[in-house]
Amino acid sequence: MKTTAETLKPGASGPQKKKRSRLARREELQGYLFILPWLIGLFGITLFPMLFSLYGSFTNYDVTSRMDFIGLGNYARMFRDDPLFWKSLYNTLFYVALMVPLTTIGSVLLALMLNERIAGMRVFRTIYYLPAVLSGVGVYFLWIQLLNPSTGLINTMLGWVGIPGPAWLSDPMWTKPAIIMMKLWSVGGGMLLYLASLQGVPSQLYESAKLDGASAFRRFWHITLPMISPVIFFDVVTSFIGGFQIFQEGYVMTDSGSGGPMGSLLFYNLYMWNQAFKLFDMGYAMAMAWVLFAIVLVLTLINLRMSKRWVYYEGGED
Amino acid sequence: MKPKRLSYLLGLAALSLVLLLAACTPESRSSSGAPKAASGGNESTAEKVTIDFWTFWGSETRRPIIEKIIEDFNNSQDRITVKHTYLPFGDIWTKNLASIAAGNPADVIINDYADVNLRASKNQNTDLSEYLSKDDIEKQFYPELWKNVLYEDKAYALPFNTDTRLLYYNKAAFREAGLDPKQPPQTWKQLEEYAQKLDKKNGSTYERVGFYPLWGDFGVDSWLINGDGGNGYFGENDQLAFDTPGKISTLEWLKSWQDRLGRQTVDAMKADFGSGVSDPFISGKVAMYIQTGTYNTQIEEFGKDLEIGVAPIPEREEGSGHWSSGGGFVVEIPKGAKHPDEAWEFMKYLTGVDAQKYWALKNFDNVANIEAAEDPEANKNAVYKASVENLADTKVFQVPLSASGYKDLINPHTDAVFLGKETPEQALQGAEKDVQALMAKSK
Repeated sequence: MKTTAETLKPGASGPQKKKRSRLARREELQGYLFILPWLIGLFGITLFPMLFSLYGSFTNYDVTSRMDFIGLGNYARMFRDDPLFWKSLYNTLFYVALMVPLTTIGSVLLALMLNERIAGMRVFRTIYYLPAVLSGVGVYFLWIQLLNPSTGLINTMLGWVGIPGPAWLSDPMWTKPAIIMMKLWSVGGGMLLYLASLQGVPSQLYESAKLDGASAFRRFWHITLPMISPVIFFDVVTSFIGGFQIFQEGYVMTDSGSGGPMGSLLFYNLYMWNQAFKLFDMGYAMAMAWVLFAIVLVLTLINLRMSKRWVYYEGGED
Repeated sequence: MKPKRLSYLLGLAALSLVLLLAACTPESRSSSGAPKAASGGNESTAEKVTIDFWTFWGSETRRPIIEKIIEDFNNSQDRITVKHTYLPFGDIWTKNLASIAAGNPADVIINDYADVNLRASKNQNTDLSEYLSKDDIEKQFYPELWKNVLYEDKAYALPFNTDTRLLYYNKAAFREAGLDPKQPPQTWKQLEEYAQKLDKKNGSTYERVGFYPLWGDFGVDSWLINGDGGNGYFGENDQLAFDTPGKISTLEWLKSWQDRLGRQTVDAMKADFGSGVSDPFISGKVAMYIQTGTYNTQIEEFGKDLEIGVAPIPEREEGSGHWSSGGGFVVEIPKGAKHPDEAWEFMKYLTGVDAQKYWALKNFDNVANIEAAEDPEANKNAVYKASVENLADTKVFQVPLSASGYKDLINPHTDAVFLGKETPEQALQGAEKDVQALMAKSK
């Protein structure tokens, strides 16, 4: 540790910099020592595998027999010669593009309704939050039943209003909407965040707006929405990232992970998984992982950029 | 700023430590692994060797059967002890891959027929030629199965079990429709006639459908084999055989069934099918149904009152062949296993007559060992007997390495036929073109 402290000196004694006391430096070092186990975890379990997979993406790595450098071969194959790559990317983008706005709007609306002060509200809040507690494969099987074209609850209800429901999970046109609908059902998690932030909006803002004669919609538009916009932003960014990770739905809700009718549920991660663990084409799968990483990174940066225009932070910038 | 720089340095130190550790691992592994293997060889004469056997047979039915076989083996000699490790079907093969990469795999594992060659090409299983030159047991297996354990003419696995598909039919429904329950349909034409007689409609909904070719366990791929003289997608020397006249007309024929019932009926009914008592054949919703031989155990459990018959898959026309399709599982030694010699001894036992006979008798599952499969005791069961006879017409195909993953390319095309988006000819031509492109790239 002494060596690290020593190597620090040149930087520390730079021009125009206040010299810190020995004690402060010591405490700092101790602090880092305390978090060292987590740092090792970060570097060993996160960063090292990431770098390994970055290198692996330029090889024909198959886990057991080879790892030869092939330059951009995997990337070239992906963009030029692999129709299933484009299909899986399209499926995933389609899903994300619909799922993110719909679940965001859905959970905001739900939170607004559950923010009303009426009797028995706690019960409603619990009911609407419940689906978020249930998770995983059980929910998918429940939805496979709900989406049953002849006896499922959804088509039965559509039948009451005279709409013949589609064969949700066997018609390639309806498979992705069906999954988005399933996601809408469990917006309770996001709803909870909005509810908390709605209750944090100071009531005097509404009162003074009311005195000025603002309508309910204007109050929502000019007070509520800006006040909860940081939470919306957080929700949008996380569901964007979560949306790109969709895998289980495609794996569980289709015959043996085949990607569904006409490959309409072959999501990016499902295809990547097939390449890695069914065909042992790990190098290619690693390249796919990095392409996905790049896509998500760019979209998140765009999100961050755009957020300056519409996210309102109380107390102003800086 | 100071904190930043410090964290950077510490991070760098941690990273180099990790890299150092990572760099050391393979070496330390091989240095500790090699003497172990050597000492294992020496010990084997004097001391007992324990080998690890991975299967996915953990169900109430299968676990006791495989564990009894293991116990019998352990008691039959005093040199090798086999330890059974059960892993769920969804995990076993990814875990196998990881353990081979880590240099610490099982000694024997149950794996899939379909990819023996792929695994062999990737150094995941062990070449058995050396053992086979000492113990020539090739002849005890069905040749159709043996073909599938070969990679570049060398065996990398031993066949364990297999399956074949048969036509099950409901005799009571036959009588009700005025058909002779002793005369199951032999040809496609008869199949159509029978099916229409067996349909039972209540208004516009079907109470019972006589037959629908794609329900059950005989998919488009299997029908294309049946209708094209027993030929699969890949011929000699990996020649592609997709848009053959036989396959095109087979696909047309399959589509005509959907046209007759209507896509909505087919989708809706299929979504209702379950297993056990809600199985469509057991619950009487379907009068003829294609399934594997072991499906009979489900009928015995859930449909005790059902009076059934079994028959070979109907042939396209008289003399074209009652082709069926099969699959199943092999036993192999993962590459890098510590005790391959002992593993081989156990594999010989597993695929030998006694163990295979026991497996067949308890499961009514088709086994790979011919003598065991034809054992009279298990053959007292009529369905089992029919399934053993059916093996003569059953095709098991090896996928060319360069076409690995081809099903993801074919299925969208065949799906498109049933959605009315492509004609059978377009679909098969499109599939052939896509698979050709895949193979050209991977060569």
